[in-house]
Amino acid sequence: MDTTGSILESIGVEIIGVMSPVSICMFLVVLLISFLSSTTSPTTSSIRTAANLVYLETPSDSTTQKLEGALLNAAVFILLITLVTFLLVILYYYRFTNFLKYYIRFSALMVLGSMGGSILLSIIQIGNIPIDCVTFTVILLNFTVLGVLSVFSNGVPILVNQMYMVALGIIVAVWFTKLPEWTTWVLLVALALYDLVAVLAPGGPLKMLVELASSRDDELPALVYEARPNVGSRAGSRGQSLGVLLAGVSEGEAVELSVMSSSENVGSDGRGVSETRSGNVGRDGRGANETRSGNVGRDGRGLNETRRGNVGRDGRGLNETRSGNVGRDGRGMNETRSENEEIDGVREVEIEGETLPLMGGGDGRERAMANEEIRESNESDRGRVLERIIEGAEERERGIRLGLGDFVFYSVLVGRAAMYDMMTVYACYLAIISGLACTLILLAVCRHALPALPISIALGVIFYFLTRLLMEPFVVGTSTNLLMF
Amino acid sequence: MTVAAGIGYALVALGPSLSLFLALISKKPFLILTLLSSTLVWLMSLIVMSALWRAFLPLKTTVWWPYTILILTSVGFQEALRILFWKVYKKLEDILDAFADRVSKPRLFMTDKMQIALAGGLGHGVAHAVFFCLGLLTPAFGPATYYVEKCSKMPFFLVSAIIALAFATIHTFSMVIAFSGYEEGNKVDQCFAPVVHFIAGMLTLINLAFGGCTISIPLLYCVAIVTLVHCGKMAWRRLIENRSREGNLSNSQ
Repeated sequence: MDTTGSILESIGVEIIGVMSPVSICMFLVVLLISFLSSTTSPTTSSIRTAANLVYLETPSDSTTQKLEGALLNAAVFILLITLVTFLLVILYYYRFTNFLKYYIRFSALMVLGSMGGSILLSIIQIGNIPIDCVTFTVILLNFTVLGVLSVFSNGVPILVNQMYMVALGIIVAVWFTKLPEWTTWVLLVALALYDLVAVLAPGGPLKMLVELASSRDDELPALVYEARPNVGSRAGSRGQSLGVLLAGVSEGEAVELSVMSSSENVGSDGRGVSETRSGNVGRDGRGANETRSGNVGRDGRGLNETRRGNVGRDGRGLNETRSGNVGRDGRGMNETRSENEEIDGVREVEIEGETLPLMGGGDGRERAMANEEIRESNESDRGRVLERIIEGAEERERGIRLGLGDFVFYSVLVGRAAMYDMMTVYACYLAIISGLACTLILLAVCRHALPALPISIALGVIFYFLTRLLMEPFVVGTSTNLLMF
Repeated sequence: MTVAAGIGYALVALGPSLSLFLALISKKPFLILTLLSSTLVWLMSLIVMSALWRAFLPLKTTVWWPYTILILTSVGFQEALRILFWKVYKKLEDILDAFADRVSKPRLFMTDKMQIALAGGLGHGVAHAVFFCLGLLTPAFGPATYYVEKCSKMPFFLVSAIIALAFATIHTFSMVIAFSGYEEGNKVDQCFAPVVHFIAGMLTLINLAFGGCTISIPLLYCVAIVTLVHCGKMAWRRLIENRSREGNLSNSQ
């Protein structure tokens, strides 16, 4: 049975690359929640955060009271987030990028240190783990410092970065689940709607942020999970497979799209921008954690994320397949992040009017072909410079990006479902994963920034209520009678 | 009874599926996606059935014919969904083959197709185990256990885990049989899956009687073994035919 080179090996790698950290995050959040709430602690919902500024839910209120209170809470929260996002847009517009980066590092420090630390303390308390203060402090300090270092630096291995992103998502999600139930559900729905508006509507803050970033060809400072496939682990078309697959479906359509930096671009040979967007900058748990009483000033800034809107950055890492006669280039769902100045050099060359061919995966053949083309289309010395730069840069680029807010809110939904029953957890997990798959496919088709929250949250909420109201009595009734099909 | 027992029950129901997953499916992302989508399809069929039957619940356990109708309708609906799944799979196969031509790779092998069918069936089996067994397993992680009066010799969790294992096997392999039946036009294979599903569902009706589980569980395992053997024979036959056909092709060149 010769399956080397079967296409089944390589299709869908990017989707799985995004789905596995989301699944791991959700799984760990469910574990943590069931562990932490295994001993019923009555003092859970008495914290006052920005998410329940207006109305503190108590179990004894009537339904309409709870609903109105939850709506008010959600409205206030969304308002706060919108304000903060606009503030971020203004800061970014006036080029306070370094300030933003340091602020994000600080918020990562606070999330990992104080919020993570308090979760760790509850685990130690509940699990009766014998550990002393000094060891605990040293461990927490090391954990936090490494996390802060891995957020924006290039020197840290990508796996460490990814693990810390997932850890940040877990911590913030566990904090969010301390909100009361009605407020949580209404908040989730409101956030999904906000995400939809902020990313797609013309005046939306996130859309402005993305356009600003792309017009400057700069990277947005934000907390984003980047799923990079293993470079060189398999030969052949890896990243570009899904892009080309969808290109095949929508036949004849020129798949390359240049979305943002059309100014520098010649023709329609673009840089496929597929990015996923997700939460927004500033949509942070900042809401959840502004405590008015004077406790530790934690801010769930963990949620700063954004995505890099830019594509025009010369197709770094946008994969394409160049099979001989196909007239179009399939752009994979990848985008890149350009972090070095070397790439700017490339851009200048590009301005001269050459369309920069996108580099494919580690396939030597394709790289050679693209190199040929580069050499042909550029001047000789420039071309050689380009080659080197591209080959150097391509190792770093590639991967779908998902903002940290998506991780957090998916996990909040699943965590809240876990507080009811495990059956709702499985149903919501499947709903969220399928929503994510739909969003990723839409991303490959639409090629511009898309909000990742709405479809998944909508499906998740629908499935939660359907399961809880309809399916549970049915399945529990039949299976406790040992009647199965 | 404790965390260990809870994990034990979960592994009884899902252990073989987990090893199938790790050995075959985890390396190929497309198969993971197939598994997830077939799990979703099964979940949706369950939601539809529960929406239909919600008005009639809770059923009295003394009368058994409503349960018969319940099982009939549920099995029928799921088998109809299987045919729908097959049609979607055919379209997907065309897309995949076109894609393979474009990237100049070989088209889908027969083993690829069987693996996709296996992943689909495994999705159904895992969904059954998760919703009928694992969803109820949360109390098992605590300090006590639960017995059903009709089957009072073993804890309820263990009984449901064993039944879930049988059903997971049946679902997994009957999908392979059904897909190859549809592809080859073999009537026996095409009817095999619905018939087996139906028989298995009916066998669990025996559980309603007192002490019925001592009869129905071994019978259920007989059905599962029949499915396994039939699938094995069919796969073997197709592989041999395929190999001999390829041998002829290469010989004649």
